[in-house]
Amino acid sequence: MQIKVNDQVIEIFSGACVKDVLRKYSRIEWKLVKNDRKAVFDRHGHQVALDGELNGGEEFFIKNIELAKTEP
Amino acid sequence: MKQSMRTMIGARLFLLLLLAVFGLLSCASTPPAPADTRIVIFHSNDVHGKIDNYAKVAAIIDAERKSSANVFYFCAGDNFTGNPVIDQYVPPGEPVLELLNRLRLDLMCLGNHEFDYGLENLKNFAARARFPLVAANIEAPPGFFPQLQPSLLLKTKGGVRIAVFGLIQIEAGNGLPSTHPDKVKGLVFSEPLAKAREYKTLRAGNQVLIGLTHLGYEDDLRLAQQMPELDVIIGGHSHTRVDPAENINGVLVAQAGSDNRFLGRVELLVKDGRVVAKKGGLIYLGGPLNEDAEIKAMIARFNQNPAFARIIAEAPLEISGKDALGSLMTDAMRQVHGLDIAFQNEGGIRLKRLPQKITVKDIYTLDPFGNQVVEITMTPEEIRGLIASSFEKGDEIDLQVSGISYVVRTDSARQITEILLRDADGTPLAENKQLKVGMSSYVASAYDFAHQDPGRSLQSTTADALIRYLQGGIDLSMYRDIQRAFWQKTAEDPRS
Repeated sequence: MQIKVNDQVIEIFSGACVKDVLRKYSRIEWKLVKNDRKAVFDRHGHQVALDGELNGGEEFFIKNIELAKTEP
Repeated sequence: MKQSMRTMIGARLFLLLLLAVFGLLSCASTPPAPADTRIVIFHSNDVHGKIDNYAKVAAIIDAERKSSANVFYFCAGDNFTGNPVIDQYVPPGEPVLELLNRLRLDLMCLGNHEFDYGLENLKNFAARARFPLVAANIEAPPGFFPQLQPSLLLKTKGGVRIAVFGLIQIEAGNGLPSTHPDKVKGLVFSEPLAKAREYKTLRAGNQVLIGLTHLGYEDDLRLAQQMPELDVIIGGHSHTRVDPAENINGVLVAQAGSDNRFLGRVELLVKDGRVVAKKGGLIYLGGPLNEDAEIKAMIARFNQNPAFARIIAEAPLEISGKDALGSLMTDAMRQVHGLDIAFQNEGGIRLKRLPQKITVKDIYTLDPFGNQVVEITMTPEEIRGLIASSFEKGDEIDLQVSGISYVVRTDSARQITEILLRDADGTPLAENKQLKVGMSSYVASAYDFAHQDPGRSLQSTTADALIRYLQGGIDLSMYRDIQRAFWQKTAEDPRS
């Protein structure tokens, strides 16, 4: 299935979750997200968890946590 | 006389018939609902066995129940899979059942991971649950799964009718939920958004209409667009933190992240037989909050899962070293899932040795990451690409293997000159083959290698494969002196 990360199309196995597609997109970005320096948001601006399950055609953006922190 | 008797009886029968028809009609029509009913619905989704915050959830819901008349608690699916303490319980998932019963859950939509422990286990779960399960796009043979309903009617104490239908996601490829296909045998699944259209009729006669879904946020938005008759969609599956809940096409769409880190709260105001105000948001459960002491004690008990100490296999001696442990892990993946070849990266082998008496806990220490098994159909050339990519990460053997052996040959500059693949019997691998290759989801996503087939998750973890393999009573003496991946340096290599 195809997932977009930061406007880049990533081909990933079916049944993948958010962390899988991040690792395939960029190992550097993946590490930043894993270490809570950045976070992943869907195209509507809602934060998604790394274990979030994917359907083909979805789109995500990686943002700096300082700029997009939503957690209380 | 007889004639008048007949007339009288006829008249009485007509009157009875009229009363019966009128009575039925009045039952079918909307009963007068009380004015200004406030309804609070708490909701969780994708808890995945993370039970620790349920003591806080219980305290929040109980406090609301004490102050409000109409409080409900819904779950939008995926309570199972993701915490070995819960997954390895006997029976699997038992703590979640006991906790949800104690929390007085009102309703649960099935998620794809509810099937992970097998259908029989789910049916036992449903039989003992004090709450109904809903999913409108699942069809079961009569009597096969009696606790599963397409929709349900709840009522407030004042008589406001709340109709709820459930929907579960299916994959575009096989039309099944994201679990192993063997786990849903006997059930028929239909496309959820098409099925939802059949439930528009629930709008009539009910003051509140809710979709309790396990579809993912994007499909919840599509549902809201196609079905403005809905008042609220409470969803799950994509682990999306929707805070505050969004108003889409007049439908409030809510989802509470995952892993019990948040509790969702939707509030509705019903007036003159319809919802006139609605809002939703999330309560963060990570901070200091009141906890229900009884639930806290239950959680502490569950976390001491005695199944973790269970011995699942005994080896004639310790299994030690990356070659032996990697061979064991890849054999497990290959045998359990019927693959031709399996790979395991050495970074994913987190123990130096397994003791002779191997426990469940040892397996989760050896393989703690919860990676899924991914199957990709590959040619020998693509397999060489994977091996080359792994070798070049650190100029050393990185992938342990089952089903074949391989040799990486390098020149004096440690550039790969050749990768030889051999069958299990030592003969060179035929080049025209298409092979079912298994690997962890980490290798499938983090390693850079070309492959035509995008692959598919087998919806089962590598640790689960190892437990099942060891429980099969295999002879572990073969893992004493074993090596299947070799690096052959040229004699000119100055570091050889």
